Amino acid sequence: MIATDNERQDPETAPGRPVDAADGVDIKCAGLTKTFRDFWLRPRVRAVEGVDLEVRRGQIYGLLGPNGSGKSTTIKMILGLISPTSGRIAVLGRRPRDVASKQRIGYLPEESYLYRFLSARETLDYYGRLFRLPTRVRRERIDMLLEMVGLDAVEHRPVGEFSKGMQRRVGLAQSLINDPQLLILDEPTSGMDPVGAKQIKDLIADLGRRGKTVLLCTHQLSDVEDLCDRVAIMFGGRVRAEGTCDELLAQEDCTTIRTAALPPAVVAEVRGVLERHGIDSVDVERPRRRMESLFLEIVEQARAEGARTSGATSGGRVADFLRSGAAPSEAAAVEPAPQVESATPTTGATAVEPVAEATGPVDTALIDRLTNRQP
Amino acid sequence: MNRPAQPWRRAGRPLLLLAVGSLVAEACARGVGVGIGIVVQACVAALCAWWAWREFQATPQWRRKATAVIATVAAVVAVWFLVRHGRLLEATGLAGVIGMATGCWLGLAGIHLLLSGSTGVIGVARAVVDEAVRMRVSLGLAMLVLVLVPTLPLALDHSERLHYRVQFLLSWSLGVTGVILSLLTIVLACGSICGDIDSGRIHMTLVKPLQRWEYLVGKWLGIALFDLLMVALVGAGTATFVRLLAGTEATDPQDRAAVTEQVLTARIALDPEPANPVEYDAAIAAAIQQLEEDEPDAFERNPGAARRRIRQEYDWQWHTVTPDTVSTYVFRGLGDAKRRAAGTADTTLQLQLKPRAYNVEVDLADVRFAIWLNDRPWPVMDGDHVEQILPTQAVHVLDLPVEAVDEEGNLRLTIANRNLVPDGETKPTTITFSPGDGLRILHRAGGFDGNFIRCLAVVWIKLTMVAAVAVAAASCLGLPMAILASLVVYATALGSGFLRDALGLYNMVSTSFLGSVVERAGRAATLASEFRFYEAFRMLFGFVTDLALWLTPAFSDFDAVGRLSTGMLIPASDVLACLWRIGLIYPLVIGLAAWALFERRDLIRSST
Repeated sequence: MIATDNERQDPETAPGRPVDAADGVDIKCAGLTKTFRDFWLRPRVRAVEGVDLEVRRGQIYGLLGPNGSGKSTTIKMILGLISPTSGRIAVLGRRPRDVASKQRIGYLPEESYLYRFLSARETLDYYGRLFRLPTRVRRERIDMLLEMVGLDAVEHRPVGEFSKGMQRRVGLAQSLINDPQLLILDEPTSGMDPVGAKQIKDLIADLGRRGKTVLLCTHQLSDVEDLCDRVAIMFGGRVRAEGTCDELLAQEDCTTIRTAALPPAVVAEVRGVLERHGIDSVDVERPRRRMESLFLEIVEQARAEGARTSGATSGGRVADFLRSGAAPSEAAAVEPAPQVESATPTTGATAVEPVAEATGPVDTALIDRLTNRQP
Repeated sequence: MNRPAQPWRRAGRPLLLLAVGSLVAEACARGVGVGIGIVVQACVAALCAWWAWREFQATPQWRRKATAVIATVAAVVAVWFLVRHGRLLEATGLAGVIGMATGCWLGLAGIHLLLSGSTGVIGVARAVVDEAVRMRVSLGLAMLVLVLVPTLPLALDHSERLHYRVQFLLSWSLGVTGVILSLLTIVLACGSICGDIDSGRIHMTLVKPLQRWEYLVGKWLGIALFDLLMVALVGAGTATFVRLLAGTEATDPQDRAAVTEQVLTARIALDPEPANPVEYDAAIAAAIQQLEEDEPDAFERNPGAARRRIRQEYDWQWHTVTPDTVSTYVFRGLGDAKRRAAGTADTTLQLQLKPRAYNVEVDLADVRFAIWLNDRPWPVMDGDHVEQILPTQAVHVLDLPVEAVDEEGNLRLTIANRNLVPDGETKPTTITFSPGDGLRILHRAGGFDGNFIRCLAVVWIKLTMVAAVAVAAASCLGLPMAILASLVVYATALGSGFLRDALGLYNMVSTSFLGSVVERAGRAATLASEFRFYEAFRMLFGFVTDLALWLTPAFSDFDAVGRLSTGMLIPASDVLACLWRIGLIYPLVIGLAAWALFERRDLIRSST
């Protein structure tokens, strides 16, 4: 395992908080193992084996792995939906099934499991009631969330009539209705169009900036690379690698220099300089744009020209109630949002890649964090 | 943006269709025939409702409400059409359907208001009520109930005597809807919980601050409230149609009187006792002892059955009046009836008789007998003691004067067999009154309305138990098995009275479950030691049936619908006992067992 000191400051230091939360650890798993048994109680499959995880307050933590690697099982154990065969879990300093900790958790499963007969508004109302939100607060938050995920125009349509991406947006909205301190997202961008996926990524980054802890479980390697502070890669029920993106991705034996387009003569000159230093293996190429960037530009242009759509709209700004990462009852006391620190020293990589070439507002804090620049 | 059309414009098109279609229906009724007109009007109404649903597709917030309003308008137009063409019965039925549907709508709004709080249990309960009216299977069953109650009077045979028709309407309306609502409850509970688990929806719910028991209680509460609404609607519909039917023409004055005095009333029944109960019991005990001495093998094989047989034989014998003899039956505890009748016009007791004729090879149509009340002849007309001549195999009710009851509240009923010798026979026949309902005195002890409400309460309590069973089954089994298990428990509860007799629970001497277990085990061991393994196995298998019956509450102990339709009082104490045993203790025990399993269950989809 690779250690790191890339952490944000924990805003919660009030006395009386659960031990781990006071230490700034929102999820702690130690020796987590899950063996599924068949009808005759014979061990059938060992889905998770000896997993140790530590997700600290304010981190965006990526859980990566191929299908069947034990990611979802780990998440379900963290959420108390299934019991571990052995090992210990503390979520927000409490047992996973503890109601007090669930009050501060938002969860988006890998598929949107919604009541098909309820409308988007009724769905959010249902989940709002489960969080015991007073009627007024519930109504305000639902309005904001529906606008945020771009479903305010179709709020009365039954969810069963929605496309997969639209259902995903409802799922995302329900995971945020309690202004969670800890957000657990399982494949949040699956089934979303690139615009929606970009919005979700922006939202996750924004929530991270506001001090929320996010556990992101995904196959989308680019999502992890763009968003996560730390990553654990799982395979066969075990964590095979863990560390910051920079630590895991740095290529120590390679250097990239990025400039404005160079004329052939200058390229030849640079090659000459490098050859003089004994470097004869040099690749010079025109960088390509990312498909995501191109797609977003086209959609933005179409929207600017007033083209109509019957699906989800682009969505609005992040709902106001999604405040800094404190318990709801303490949110007022800990505002404003904690200062974001990006104090990780570089670990040798010198390449600097542009991160988000989207047409939307640039998330400077995210770029700052990923480029290791001080804000 | 596409601007959706105004709601009134959307509503205009189906309403225009209704207007034009109704004119066509009218023309058909006048030109071709009323039957064709009715069919056209029905088609127009259905088409109008369907079109309204289509028109409001783009505005889901209005769709249900607008369709409901337009469908109601179409139905009201259809009622008007039926009334104008003299089809009053059909018009009443359709008006009933409209009324029940409107009541359902208002009731659902009421439930939503009741469940407006913001807690986990209430949130889950609300969702399950929404599920009940929006999922096809449960909605279909609910609609079947709402249509069945108003249309049941159309199925009655109008040549039948009125009090039988009223009785039939009461028992079928409440009985059949009770069965349909039980099925609805099972389907809804199992479908909702197993659906949540299989689809993964439960993951979204249980990661919220909600204990697992709160989830189960929420599901049960929602279903129980929906059942309450349905029972209330069925009750309102049945009460209305029973009153309407009871107001129609009766066959004769006796029929009219029977409606109010035997059906729409609440009576208490008193069974006769021997003049000397100690002597009677001693005679039975002696007979049992005699059997034990005469046939020790048969007795040893099944002492419970032997005792029961002797008791039954004596009971039949005691209810039998042999030729040219008299039998005396004492009814005790009529003081209340006498006092109650003192200040009212209702000064009669009802003697219910169901006579049977025996000892003849030819069927006797009638039996003849004479009656004495407290040793005085009755009835006496013009100084003569009038004999009773009654057809056999039917239930008869004779009105006895309440003054005949003595000061201690006792009434001695003496019956003399006066059968003539039938043609071709050498001796007259005996008369037997079936034990149970063949000879008893009934007296009014309350009003129909209170009885009706108590009956609905019992029906609802039984439904809440079915809901608890289904919720418990669904929390630890998959959908098909949960439905099957719930149906088995429901069927066992429904047929518990019959099953107890058929499976021979009473064949054991011990009346308690544990006593019968010990007894069965002992006898199985004895049989096995005699190498009679098959009989030993049967003895042990009886344990399974005993257990099933012991674990299932007996609905037959609280046959509220049967009592209501025969004009018998359902005492408040019975309702409380039903609430305690069927509505509280049983669901609590089964609920705790289900929670213990559900709490430890890994909530993964059955497919993974």
